Amino acid sequence: MQNQIAGWLALFGFAMSSFLSCALAEEDERAGLEAEAEMPEIHFDVLDKYCLECHDSLTEKGEVNLEDLSFSLVKNIETAETWNKVLNAINSGEMPPEDEPQISANEKTEFLRDLSERMVIARSVLSDSGGVIEMRRLNRREYANTLEDLLGVRPDVSLLPDDQASSEFDTMGASLFFSSDQLEQYLKTARNTLELALNAKAPAESKTVHIEPEDIFVPLYADLAVKRLDTASRYYQWRANGGSDDIAKEHGFLDGWQAERSINSFKSSYLPLEKWLTAPENRSGAAMMVTIKSGFTSMKLPQVRAWQPGRYLIRLRAGAYEDDPERFRFLEFVRKEGQNSTRLGWRKVNAALKNPEIIEFEIDHAPGVDAIYQVQKRSHMDRGDKNLEAVYRKENTYGTPWGIWIDWVELEGPLPVEPNESSPSIISEKPKDQSDDDYVRGVLRDFAVIAFRGEAPGGEFLEKLFARYSANRKKGQEMKDVLIGPLAIVLSSPSFLYMVESAESDESRDLTGNELAVRLAYFLWSSPPDAELLSLAREGKLKKPEVLAEQTGRLLSDPRSDRFVRSFAYQWLEMHRLGMFAFAGRDFPTFDNAVRDCAAEEIYETFSTLMHEGLSLKNFLKSDFVVVNDVLAGYYGLDGVDGHHWRKVALPADSPRGGLLGSVAVAAMGSDGQRSSPVERGAWVLRKLLNDPPPPAPPNVPMLSRFEDEILSVRDLQKAHQEQPQCAQCHEKIDPIGYGMENLDAAGMWRDIEVVTSGRKGSTKTEFAIDPAGSFGQGNDFSNFFELRDEVAEEIDGFAMSMTEALITYGLGRPFGFTDHDLAHEIVSHASGHDYKIEEFIHALIQSKAFQSK
Amino acid sequence: MRKNLTRRAVLRSSTATIALPFLESFGFRKFASAAEQVKSPKRMIWMGMGFGVTADKWFPNKEDTGTDYAFPSILKPLEKHRDDLSFIQHLMHKDSQDGHSGSTFWLTGANRYAVPGQSFHNSISVDQLAAETLGQDTRFTSIQLCAREAADSGSSGHGPGLSLAWNRQGKPVSGLGSPVEAFHRLFSDESTPLAERQARLNEQRSVLDTVMSDAKFVQKKVSQSDNEKLDEYLQSVREIEVRLSKEEQWLDVEKKQPDPAVIEPGESLVGYEEMGVMADLMVAAMQVDATRVLTYRMPVDTMIASLGAGISAHTMSHYSHGERRDVSEMRDLYNAKFLARFIDKLKASREADGSTLFDNTTLTMGTNLFSVHTLRNCPTLVAGGGSGFVHGRHLVMGDEKTPLCNLWLSQLKGSGIDVESFGDSTGVIDELVEA
Repeated sequence: MQNQIAGWLALFGFAMSSFLSCALAEEDERAGLEAEAEMPEIHFDVLDKYCLECHDSLTEKGEVNLEDLSFSLVKNIETAETWNKVLNAINSGEMPPEDEPQISANEKTEFLRDLSERMVIARSVLSDSGGVIEMRRLNRREYANTLEDLLGVRPDVSLLPDDQASSEFDTMGASLFFSSDQLEQYLKTARNTLELALNAKAPAESKTVHIEPEDIFVPLYADLAVKRLDTASRYYQWRANGGSDDIAKEHGFLDGWQAERSINSFKSSYLPLEKWLTAPENRSGAAMMVTIKSGFTSMKLPQVRAWQPGRYLIRLRAGAYEDDPERFRFLEFVRKEGQNSTRLGWRKVNAALKNPEIIEFEIDHAPGVDAIYQVQKRSHMDRGDKNLEAVYRKENTYGTPWGIWIDWVELEGPLPVEPNESSPSIISEKPKDQSDDDYVRGVLRDFAVIAFRGEAPGGEFLEKLFARYSANRKKGQEMKDVLIGPLAIVLSSPSFLYMVESAESDESRDLTGNELAVRLAYFLWSSPPDAELLSLAREGKLKKPEVLAEQTGRLLSDPRSDRFVRSFAYQWLEMHRLGMFAFAGRDFPTFDNAVRDCAAEEIYETFSTLMHEGLSLKNFLKSDFVVVNDVLAGYYGLDGVDGHHWRKVALPADSPRGGLLGSVAVAAMGSDGQRSSPVERGAWVLRKLLNDPPPPAPPNVPMLSRFEDEILSVRDLQKAHQEQPQCAQCHEKIDPIGYGMENLDAAGMWRDIEVVTSGRKGSTKTEFAIDPAGSFGQGNDFSNFFELRDEVAEEIDGFAMSMTEALITYGLGRPFGFTDHDLAHEIVSHASGHDYKIEEFIHALIQSKAFQSK
Repeated sequence: MRKNLTRRAVLRSSTATIALPFLESFGFRKFASAAEQVKSPKRMIWMGMGFGVTADKWFPNKEDTGTDYAFPSILKPLEKHRDDLSFIQHLMHKDSQDGHSGSTFWLTGANRYAVPGQSFHNSISVDQLAAETLGQDTRFTSIQLCAREAADSGSSGHGPGLSLAWNRQGKPVSGLGSPVEAFHRLFSDESTPLAERQARLNEQRSVLDTVMSDAKFVQKKVSQSDNEKLDEYLQSVREIEVRLSKEEQWLDVEKKQPDPAVIEPGESLVGYEEMGVMADLMVAAMQVDATRVLTYRMPVDTMIASLGAGISAHTMSHYSHGERRDVSEMRDLYNAKFLARFIDKLKASREADGSTLFDNTTLTMGTNLFSVHTLRNCPTLVAGGGSGFVHGRHLVMGDEKTPLCNLWLSQLKGSGIDVESFGDSTGVIDELVEA
């Protein structure tokens, strides 16, 4: 520890000295970038030859004058926009017009390559904030955490806009808007949450509801079976009587067509029901069947109401059908609130049918919501389960393997609360000798100070709050109810909603201890500073580098740092892509919701493991272990991983897993739910791992549809990109990286052969051998996935820079710009001296001048 | 008090006789001049589809222009209205860059990157601009409807925003998310006594006054650039104050009920069914002149799900062949069916002067996304007599990059709104008013 602190102190000294030379360095930096954003003069020839006839200063066709256009793209936004127009017009093939001389392929490729790369630099220079950290409002996550911290109740924030949609990171102040609807929603949300917090009923008495599933499912399925048999008997009578449309009605069918449909439905659904009903174990329990018409055999538990918050326990006794594949032995636990359902987790049933085991699953029921909890089979997206049922039924006549049999299910709760788990007190006890008014003034003031994160509220504001109170109090309402109004106002005021850092001018200044505590806590916890941070800030100790380092360590080891891990990793690695496409159950039967959810979880759990165990960031590029639970271990084919907790598991030497490149999440994000996409994968690797982002996909470039009707391998499909210069200039860099990942299919499973399905219901299958050879950068050739991974793993500095830029953006709440280049280099060089440990990056950022000043 | 009772009695009695839709809109002060106003008011509706359409099937063939064009077969249900609607090709926003945002800039035409140092910028939408004029005399200045879709549906291709509408500051305006919400906002009267409602308005004002006190306190503390950020908050407070004043004007006027009355919709309506009910509510809202400006951000994900599709909206939008393409075409067909039925209803609704709602309405259905990630040739269908357009035609603009804002400007001017330009408009589209 001593050594570490010395290291941070050295870093701090470095930061101080570099601050002095900072202004100078920034100017150099800008000058350097401006030079980089300069279009080479040689390209004037292209403009001259193909464009100026119409777009010179005299003609200005379409009001575009390229003759006087500055070759410095960063001159101003107008110049950049004009160049952007040129880029788009040539990219989309719109310019030069068809009847004019066309730019030669060579000239075009070079012109577009130079221009698109310079546009990336120009955008970064022009959007630079000049180091200003704009005052920002709490984003939706932070708001929810903050309210929970203050009131002990997690608010329902579904009314508020999701701040992740409008920018790269939801901590970027300039993109966190405010609208009048929002103000009303804040008031409403605060009121609702305060009601719940202040009027919490005495905990409901704990009770246990016991369900024997056979009581529900035997009558249900028996009834269905009888109905199906009745249909069949009417159908065959109808057929015996001639089977014409005219007599269909007499047999209870609309017409002949409907009669035929009915018998088909009988054939597909009767046998499964009969098998289920005649299985002896279903007299004293229920096997988990999938039916076409009534869905899963799912164990719905009684509704838990809004006023019965607390911890509950789902307990059940179950056994597994040992012959069924392993993935059918998992139970999925789900919460349903109205239309929304959330998967809570999975538990594997290990016990045999003959000797069932008891499984418990704990749930936390938030106040203010009515929810139903249920236990079901592992599910697929959309109609995957129904489609798969038909596939299995073709093979075995009874459909999806049952996997599990359940003897009984119980819901117990709410469980008694430990005394130290009780909610924070918002309203202190009223001293006997104090008047009501004085007491209320005190309550309002104290609450406002806490809500405003230690900053004192204005006197007039407090007076007005009190006036709101006394006006309603006079109407005869209860004191506690009357207080809700003014307290909700506090929680909707700018001092609460914004991270206010006072300033005399726009000049940069050091943060106060209190401001630093706030910035630190929201960075690592997404919630307000706790008492320890605030008291260190008050005593003036927090700004001491060693204290700050110690506190950073404390915050990181607190479970609340999980919020940082998740939201940072989600946004940095663009994990939203994992939910963007549906994977058809029929094509990817093993890639179900459990695997998809756990695939994302693997990334967070790995980040967390590296961070908490002081491991190198290099492990994200290549490692000899994976962090998995039993669900994902099953998907990866790793044996001996029992239990639902996440843990490090050693990999065999020849495993493609271990590192982001081989993870199911990254492979699936780089697909469209059907086929792998070398473009998406290659571009992602360039952006996130190599920190060499390709220019964004230009809008309006026509989709290459030349191959649309041909059945080709993914690799051959990309060849269309090489045919036109405007495509080739970027894709020659992007696609070959993606080729190296072709052994991973759209759902991240290893394959040696690519199978392309086509035709109706995917009945035709064509096979292609995978060719994973490719290259990236200068002279990095690889012949397979493993070589690609090895070569990418060499590029740790690029990857470290990618994470550092993201950390700066997330932590400082402003877009990463050229102003930050020095800081980024300092952080990376500090971390590289410490084996690229994740926590070292974080420490270095927090110890920096930029983090500690406004 | 006596006066109020009389007026309310008059207003109420009008439902019993014939529909006098514009009557309710006269605030008390305007009542005297009621006799002078004979022309029915102009109305405007925009409906945004989110993800783009099936590229090769939605528009008529580009060579086949004018009045005798072959109607697109996947929009068959609309053909019966072909004389009263127009397709316009080659409209686009030159500044749109987001391949997943079909609605964010659709009615604004803004450049997301226009402001240095910010990664998102928007400007006022055409409906909000129209509402500043058309919405003065109605209870609701404008109404935004916005289908609520599952959070992970990739916003169904609508992009950032809370509805199609953006206010003067370029900030999102929220929408009513379900038919039930829309029904209550438009038609349910509160049972609480007038005095209590007045007291509640006063209470809301005091709340605003209190948060303003803190805002001013912060204003004095922070830097110039932070003050610009805080301005968004102050502006929001001002907007609510304006709305409260309007609510106060209408406080003692009962919400007028359409005839026949609309029934409170069920909670569970989603997708295609929801669209039908939303259309009914829009017609009813105009019948009683509760508002003259409406937008509807249509469902995509829940809509195709309600029609039995097994894939998400985003998956559909990347149609190739097979199931994805089938779903895309089915969606186009049902959107056409929905619009055809909506036009039926508008045509069947009479205003006091004998004209129909359709005669006075400017109706637009479209999106900023043509297909997949293409942002040019925005799908655009206009209908209704509100802006004096000559319909029944397939127009293909000579300039492939004709600003979509030229259409918005034409509609604004056609509806009697005094503006010189809108967004990046370069002028009105003359072809729309020339036979």
